[in-house]
Amino acid sequence: METWLRTWAILWKDILIEVRTKGTFNAMAFFAALVLFIFSFAIGPDAALLRRLGAGLLWIAITFTGLLALARTYHSEEMAGGLEALLLYPGEPRAIFLGKLVGNLVVLLLVEAILYPVAAVLFHVDLGGHFLSTAGVAILGTFGFSVVGTFYSALTLHLRAREVMLPLLVLPLLVPVLLGAVSATAALLTPETAGGLGGWIRLLVAFDILYFVVCTWTFPVLLER
Amino acid sequence: MGAGPALRLEGIGKRFGHTWALRDVSMEVAPAELVALVGPNGAGKTTLLRLVGALHRATAGRAEIFGLEIPGDEELVRRESTLLPPHGFLYEQLTGLENLRFARLMAGTKPSREELLDVLARVDLVRAADERVGGYSSGMLKRLSLARLLLRTPPLVLMDEPYASLDADGIDLVDGIIDELRESGRTILLASHRWERAIRDADRLVVMERGRIVWTGTPAAWAERRDAGGALAGTPGPERAGAAGTPGERPATGSGA
Amino acid sequence: MDLPRAPGTVTDPSPLPRLRAPHLVLAFLAVVTAVVGSVIGLWVVPPDAMQGDVQRLMYLHVPAAWLAFLAFFVVFVMSVLYLIQRDPRWDLLAASSAEVGVLFTALTLVLGSLWGKPIWGVWWTWDPRLTTTAILLVIYVGYLAVRSFAADPERAARWSAVVGIVGFADVPIVYLSVTWWRSLHQPPSSPQSMASSMLWTLMLNLVAFTLVYAYLLLRRYQVAVAEQELDARRAED
Repeated sequence: METWLRTWAILWKDILIEVRTKGTFNAMAFFAALVLFIFSFAIGPDAALLRRLGAGLLWIAITFTGLLALARTYHSEEMAGGLEALLLYPGEPRAIFLGKLVGNLVVLLLVEAILYPVAAVLFHVDLGGHFLSTAGVAILGTFGFSVVGTFYSALTLHLRAREVMLPLLVLPLLVPVLLGAVSATAALLTPETAGGLGGWIRLLVAFDILYFVVCTWTFPVLLER
Repeated sequence: MGAGPALRLEGIGKRFGHTWALRDVSMEVAPAELVALVGPNGAGKTTLLRLVGALHRATAGRAEIFGLEIPGDEELVRRESTLLPPHGFLYEQLTGLENLRFARLMAGTKPSREELLDVLARVDLVRAADERVGGYSSGMLKRLSLARLLLRTPPLVLMDEPYASLDADGIDLVDGIIDELRESGRTILLASHRWERAIRDADRLVVMERGRIVWTGTPAAWAERRDAGGALAGTPGPERAGAAGTPGERPATGSGA
Repeated sequence: MDLPRAPGTVTDPSPLPRLRAPHLVLAFLAVVTAVVGSVIGLWVVPPDAMQGDVQRLMYLHVPAAWLAFLAFFVVFVMSVLYLIQRDPRWDLLAASSAEVGVLFTALTLVLGSLWGKPIWGVWWTWDPRLTTTAILLVIYVGYLAVRSFAADPERAARWSAVVGIVGFADVPIVYLSVTWWRSLHQPPSSPQSMASSMLWTLMLNLVAFTLVYAYLLLRRYQVAVAEQELDARRAED
């Protein structure tokens, strides 16, 4: 019970702060849409090509925006003077990880809620067909991304060159998530280009469970001083 | 209060990178004692308090807090102790009340608005309860920090520069809080630059320099020693001029520098 | 050496206290097997019927790949041991294995490319094993970067241990996902059987490379222990 209160405390606090510092979320959403736009320019007006690449481009945009969001995971603590803002209170340290994880997940899913329709328009893809399944894949992929990213954002907090270190550490681990999310999304939205939906979903689920367990279990090590 | 010391440190050392912040620190604190740590900047007082509060892991040595050992029982030690840090670690975009609510939730209970307002009343911050902390003065920040301390007072209370940023009223407030804590049997370890009443009334003084304990004894003995000219630079003590008293007498000073 | 050691440092540098110079024994064995293995692999054994002499690169590429993964497995095991026991020996062994491992990983990729170009005509194909090796290289680099960018040795040890553990968990998943991904886009290549003479040569070279790894690991570890002791003495003042 106490652990859930702690998790809720962090989530509530981060949402309050986010709402009061207007503009961060908006900037992120605009950035994500901008990335998609730039891709369109880079690839050219070939509609069929854009359609084939759509799922991949979408997930790259999510990845870039995600890395920005993840870098800010402990921003409010840094402004408050340090992680002590969370460590002064006794209790399950993993609640900190859970609270931050849910926070990142919510932010990313909200960005995706905007991004998917933009991608549908730019890349000539119909979202209506398998809306629930597509949303499900988005959640599975974003969850894997958030677990690994929230975990490493704590590790890189006090590291030199941390803006570079976060992507360096996170991206290799995310290869399975990207492969799975892109392939599954492509299979759903542009069924003519790919197959194997069931296998990819199983892979995403397995990844999510494995990494959730490993990262939650190991998290307290990152809080030691 | 059980038998056995509240706190026992044996050969504690703490290294950050290549610097030793604490070296071979050994001491014992009995239950309900008030022990004051004094020393210049960089002496290691903050590191010591944080280590006792299980916020730092010792590089060498071991510590026992109410029979709990660190390394080992860090979580339990953190329940038995609380730390008042010199900086607030408060969230600027949250109001004073919300910061307290956060603290309470993090400690595992859901507080009511009344509870929180009561504590704010103790530190005379009710007016600013619903204002964002970003607009607080440094004195108000300190008071809010004290309010947070009052939300949870376990057997061991660690205070790091509790008088910083406070005016005369604030100093009295801190002294009052310390008196209350002592009356209810709490053990207090307090680090300060300033020679306030609580330090003068402490059961024992521990003087630190460069990570080591260099002297320990009663405040009165320290005051004499300081007047005799054997003091450390930058270490608090009574004013030199006119403070010399006969041995055994408390020096007559005002609130110190 | 009987000098008092600073707290928090390794107390016994030689993992094999009975042998006076274990590295010399290892070096000898490694050199012998490596020379024999290379001579046989590069000259004596007949080349592959289809691929010709280029195929001889297999005797270097496959052992290098084996070591790239073995070294990381060692990093993983040492990282777990370190986090549980906090003995600096495990951390230094992990770091040493990572340094040696990253070399073998890079070597694997280069040899893989060199072998592939004459056979498939391109420098890089998305072969699942090579792709996984490439990702392993990035994970290694991340591990070493964390050690190098951390503010102090304790943090470097703790955080890199975490990277070693979390990164290792990724390797099999990456392999599975890339294999699956490739299989959807091209038919799987049928595994080819190997002549027994080639198999034996490969085994010999595997042993040789493993001995070379063990030697490099041991020496690097000894250097790391000496470095740490030096640092500790400097900090004593």
